[in-house]
Amino acid sequence: MMRLADLSRCFQGVIPSTVVTSDGRGMPNVTYVSQVYFVDDRHVALSCQFFNKTRRNLDENPRALVEIFDPLTLQTWRLRLRFLRSEKAGPLFDSMALRIQAIASHTGMSGIFRLIAADVFEVERFDKVEGFLTEPAGDPCETTSVEGVRSEVRGLQYISERISRAESLESLLDAMLESLDRYFGFAHTMVLLYDETTKRLVTMASRGYGESGIGAEVAPGEGLIGTVARERRLLRISGLGAEMRYGRTVRKESGAVTPEIPLPGLPDAQSALVIPLVSGDRLVGVIAAEDRDPLQFGEWHEAYLGIIANQIAAGLDRMTDHAADDDEPALVVKPSGGAAKSGARRTFTFYRNDDCVFVDGEYLIRNVPGRILWKLLGDWQREGRTEFSNRELRLDTALGLPAIKDNLESRLILLRRRLDEKCPDVRMVPTSRGRFALQVDAAIDLVER
Amino acid sequence: MSLYAGSVSSDGLPAGCRAVALRTNRELTEITAYLPMATSHDVVANIAATKRLAIVATYPPDHFAVQLKGTTTAVRLAADDESEFVHARLNTFVDVLHRIGIPRRIASSINCWPAFAVDMKVEEMFEQTPGPKAGTPIR
Repeated sequence: MMRLADLSRCFQGVIPSTVVTSDGRGMPNVTYVSQVYFVDDRHVALSCQFFNKTRRNLDENPRALVEIFDPLTLQTWRLRLRFLRSEKAGPLFDSMALRIQAIASHTGMSGIFRLIAADVFEVERFDKVEGFLTEPAGDPCETTSVEGVRSEVRGLQYISERISRAESLESLLDAMLESLDRYFGFAHTMVLLYDETTKRLVTMASRGYGESGIGAEVAPGEGLIGTVARERRLLRISGLGAEMRYGRTVRKESGAVTPEIPLPGLPDAQSALVIPLVSGDRLVGVIAAEDRDPLQFGEWHEAYLGIIANQIAAGLDRMTDHAADDDEPALVVKPSGGAAKSGARRTFTFYRNDDCVFVDGEYLIRNVPGRILWKLLGDWQREGRTEFSNRELRLDTALGLPAIKDNLESRLILLRRRLDEKCPDVRMVPTSRGRFALQVDAAIDLVER
Repeated sequence: MSLYAGSVSSDGLPAGCRAVALRTNRELTEITAYLPMATSHDVVANIAATKRLAIVATYPPDHFAVQLKGTTTAVRLAADDESEFVHARLNTFVDVLHRIGIPRRIASSINCWPAFAVDMKVEEMFEQTPGPKAGTPIR
C-alpha cells in the first residue's frame, strides 16, 4: 500500500501546488502554495504568510483539497485534508520559517515574507489523479540505491580519515570539498568560516566554479548562507525560482566598484543545500552546495551530511585550538633579492580607514589579513626579510588578532589564495610548521592612504 | 497560462482540477473554461449541484495570477471544432513549462481532450499573485 512518504518528490517545492478551500457560504477559493510540507504519513503543513482568504476560509470550513505534482513525471496527486491547528512555535514552525527567512533575505524581502504560522492538516485520503497524463508516469517513489548508500558510507569514512590526518586547515578544507564531489556528487560547493572579529563569514575554499570567490563575505542573516549561519540549522531548497536568482544577477550586472568579492554561484541553480558547521554552541562556518538539478539534494543527504558536518566542525575547531606555531626561536633574515624577475611592477595601496589593500587599483583583501600583508610587504621592503613565523604575527599587537581563537591559519590561507588569484608575483610559501616565506617576483611600490 | 478550477460540493467538500483552456469575452464578464473529462468529474458534479466555480490563471515564469469567481450558466461536452483551440492552448502552456525547465515530452502528455466546456458569468475578480496583495478584489 502506498504511503504519503512515497510521494517525497512532490513535497520538494519544485512545482507549486494548488489549494482549494471554501467559505461558509460554499464559494470556492483556489490559490497556489510554493510548497506543501510533509509532516508524517498522516499529516502535512502549509505555510501561513499572510492572513489571506485561504486562512479565513479554513476557520469557516476546515476541509481543503491540495493537488501536488511529481516534478519528474508530472503525475498529479490529490490530498483531501482537514485543518487541525496553527503552530506558531516549535520544530515544524522553525523548519518552515527557516526556508522562508532564507528566501526572503536572498531576494531582499526580509520582513515582508515571513511565516505567521504552520497550518497543520490531517490527510484524510490521497489519490493519484488517473488520466491526468496520456502516457503512464514512472514510479514517483524516491529511492536510494544500495550503491548510493555504499558510496556515501565510504564518503563518511574517507572524510573522517582525512579530518584526523589533516596536517593543516588548508588540506582539511580541500579534502572536504573533494570528498563531497567524489562520494556525494556535489560538484559546486564552497566553505565559509566564521570570523569572530568581523562577525562575518568568509569564503575560504570553493570547488566547481569558474571564479573561486575566495574572500567573499556574508553577514549572518544575509541570504541563504547567512540565514543558515544565524539559525544554525541545515537548509535544503529545491526548485530555486527566477526570483531567487534575481538578486545575484543584479549584483553581477551592476558593475559597481566596491571592495566586495562576489560569492561564487551557478546563475541557473535549481537547488541548494546549506549546512551549518557548529562545534558545541560555537558557529565555525557553513558549507554550501548548489546544483542545476532541482532534485540533487535529498532527505538522505540531509541526514548524512548532518553527521559529516559535526565531524568537520570538530576538526576545524581542533585545528584552530591547536594552531601550528614553530618552536624555533631565531628567524633567518635574508636579503630580499627584490629584483623583478618577471619584469613586472606592482603597486600595493593600503587604505588606513578600512584596512583595505588594493593591488594595481583592484581590491585584494581587507581587515586582519590586509594588515598582515601590509606588515609582510613593509618588512620585505624595509629590511629585506623573506621569512616569517606565525608566532611573530601572533605577538604583533598592531595586527589586531584576538587573544583567543585568533584563526590566524585561516587568515593566512585566505591571504595566500587571494594573492595566488590576483597577484601571483607575490607568494606566501609554507617552509615548515608555523613558518612561511614571502617570494616576490616583481618590483613593488607601497602606497599608504 | 496555467489554469486551475475549484468547486465545492453541497456538503462543503472542495474539489479541483486543471483547466486546459479559457475563452473570455472582451469585458471579461463571461468565460468558458475547458476541463479535461478524465480529471474533472468531481468539479463538474459540484457545479451541477452548486453552480459555483473559481478559476485561477497564472503565468508560471513570474507567478502573476488572477482569480475569477462566479456562477456557471452551462456545462456541455466541448464540440469537435473546439479541439484545435484547446490543443493550441495546451501547446502554449507546454512552451511556458519548457521555459522553466519542464521537458516538452512530459508536459505535452497532459490530457486535454475530450473536455467539458463550462460557461461562467464572472462576478468577482481577485489579484492572486503571491504576496501581501493576494486576494485583493480587482473588481
